[in-house]
Amino acid sequence: MTPPHPPHGPTPRGPAHAHRGSLQRRLILAAVVLVTVALVVAGVAIGFILHRFVRGQLDSRLDSQIVAIAASLERGRDGRLALGRNLDGPPFDRDRSGWSWQVRQGDAVLRSGSLEGRDLSVPEDDRRDDGGRHRDRPRPADGVDPWGNPVILRILALPNEGGAGPATIVASAPMAALHGPVREASLTLALILAVLGLCLLAGLVVQVRLGLRPLERLRRDLAEVRAGQRAQVPEKQPAEIRPLVREVNALLSENAANLERARTHVANLAHGLKTPLATLTMALQDGERDPDGRLATLVSGMDGQIRHHLRRARTAALDGATRERTALEAPVADLRSTFARLYAEKGIAFTVEVPDGIAVACDGQDVDEMLGNLIDNACRWCRARVRIAAALSERGVTVTVEDDGPGLDGDAAAGVLGRGKRLDETVPGHGFGLSITTELAELYGGSLRLDRGSFHGLRARLDLPA
Amino acid sequence: MKLLLVEDDAALAAEIAKALRAENFALDHAVNGEDGQHLGETETYDAVVLDLGLPKRDGVSVLQAWRAAERTMPVLILTARDGWSDKVAGFKAGADDYLVKPFRVEELVIRLRALVRRASAHGANRIVCGPLTYDAGLGTFERDGLPLKLTGLEWRVLSCLILRKDGVVPRGQLIERVYDGDAEVDSNSVEVIITRLRRKIAPARIEGVRGHGYQLVPGEAP
Repeated sequence: MTPPHPPHGPTPRGPAHAHRGSLQRRLILAAVVLVTVALVVAGVAIGFILHRFVRGQLDSRLDSQIVAIAASLERGRDGRLALGRNLDGPPFDRDRSGWSWQVRQGDAVLRSGSLEGRDLSVPEDDRRDDGGRHRDRPRPADGVDPWGNPVILRILALPNEGGAGPATIVASAPMAALHGPVREASLTLALILAVLGLCLLAGLVVQVRLGLRPLERLRRDLAEVRAGQRAQVPEKQPAEIRPLVREVNALLSENAANLERARTHVANLAHGLKTPLATLTMALQDGERDPDGRLATLVSGMDGQIRHHLRRARTAALDGATRERTALEAPVADLRSTFARLYAEKGIAFTVEVPDGIAVACDGQDVDEMLGNLIDNACRWCRARVRIAAALSERGVTVTVEDDGPGLDGDAAAGVLGRGKRLDETVPGHGFGLSITTELAELYGGSLRLDRGSFHGLRARLDLPA
Repeated sequence: MKLLLVEDDAALAAEIAKALRAENFALDHAVNGEDGQHLGETETYDAVVLDLGLPKRDGVSVLQAWRAAERTMPVLILTARDGWSDKVAGFKAGADDYLVKPFRVEELVIRLRALVRRASAHGANRIVCGPLTYDAGLGTFERDGLPLKLTGLEWRVLSCLILRKDGVVPRGQLIERVYDGDAEVDSNSVEVIITRLRRKIAPARIEGVRGHGYQLVPGEAP
């Protein structure tokens, strides 16, 4: 006999859970990675554009200085360079500021005041000769001012200025003028992007939670099906889950149909075997055929075996199946009228206290079986009174059946409930039904307790899941 | 006393029939639900043994049909399934007792006698009429405390009369309850049995009510 395992154990969460991880966690993790990458790319791109923009601004400032210098450049009679007007306006007048300009034609040099007479080194034009197309526009370059500070340069080479040979006009701006604003803007940008990222992530978490909520509801629905509170999962579900629910429901129906089929087969087998056994029993009572009663014992042993194994087959089919809910009122009323007729001679006074709507999560046939055995036992042993009551308890529903008969004392009660007896020891009659009830009740995660009740006879208390 | 047996399994039916006839019961046998229902609705029986698993029409619906037609004879159901659900279904349909296959024939006989006694509204197991005593549990007669030897037909007539000792049993009903459905009924043979019984049970008497039937009375004629 395999011990019946409790049907209402915790939902299995073990290795499968650990292996596949949480859907929610996976979605949120993906969202974090995606948002971070997107924001970093956006940040870098915007930083680059910002850099280009500021540099463009500086370049055009320098270019306009160069254009102004070129326009007012003149050469004196002594061959010295001179400017038609003063172009040393701010910021080119500030000493060592990095803002500077310089004109060179042969040996003649003209400088902004900020250079303090020092030479601004001009890197070689490393551009390949593209046919002189850009010769009339300043070219960019990076360099250092005479004090070693990095500067941005714009250089214009004039081929033959004033007929005195090629001239070069250079204007510089400090690198800090580029990097300062870019750094400042980047900081603000990063802050804005970070806030945006956090908002996006919060939104995504909410979205994932909302999106996965139907799954949690589905889990609860399934748990209710397992607990026998409903037969099918409701089909009012999001479109993505509905096919799954349909499949589950189809599976449940199939399971129920299989169970029903198994029971029908079992019942057919019982009927098929029992009629010939009944014939044998009767035929053997003709004394000549079975003088020492050996064959009759064999037949009754066969009957016992059939009953035992049919019951096991039935309860095995029950194990793991979904539970239906059975209201107690109707079966108790039916059983009461059955036993009132069976024990009509005793004139038993039945007291029934079963409130409306009280129900247990057990199959109807098993409810009949458990209560039938308890009431039968009570009717057999009572003097005049049998009480059947049901009430909600913390364990579910407790059904009490008590009589005013002789009752059972501790050891005897334990013996009656004792299982694992050999089949031929469990003689039908007193106690046999109680051990069947115990077995069935335990299969449902319930139990049977025997003691002395207010009628001073046997009180059987059956705890069943609600 | 006459019984109806509705059982489709020929071997089991033959065993039950043999055992019941050995206990002096008159017996009709139907092999399917339809025939059984028809017999139960048209003939008079003291009790019925009804198998629940029957071809053509199952036992529960046969029983329901009888009760719907106000046939009130006691019915004992035979079931192969020993769960309470099947028994409860039988009792809801109107059964009075049940036996789970396989069963011992003594058990069947005891229960049938108890059903018949209860149906004729006798509370106690021993029914007394003057010097005569009928033990409804054992199905035996005593006269002045000594066992009375009776033939099968005599037993049927006398048990029928003593169970209804407070009234007149119509002649037609007596014949119905005494002969098997397939037996040749000679209208004089009941007279012959009654005559033989009168000798055996004196001083109790069987009074003939002209044009009506018979009544068992305890003592001498006034």
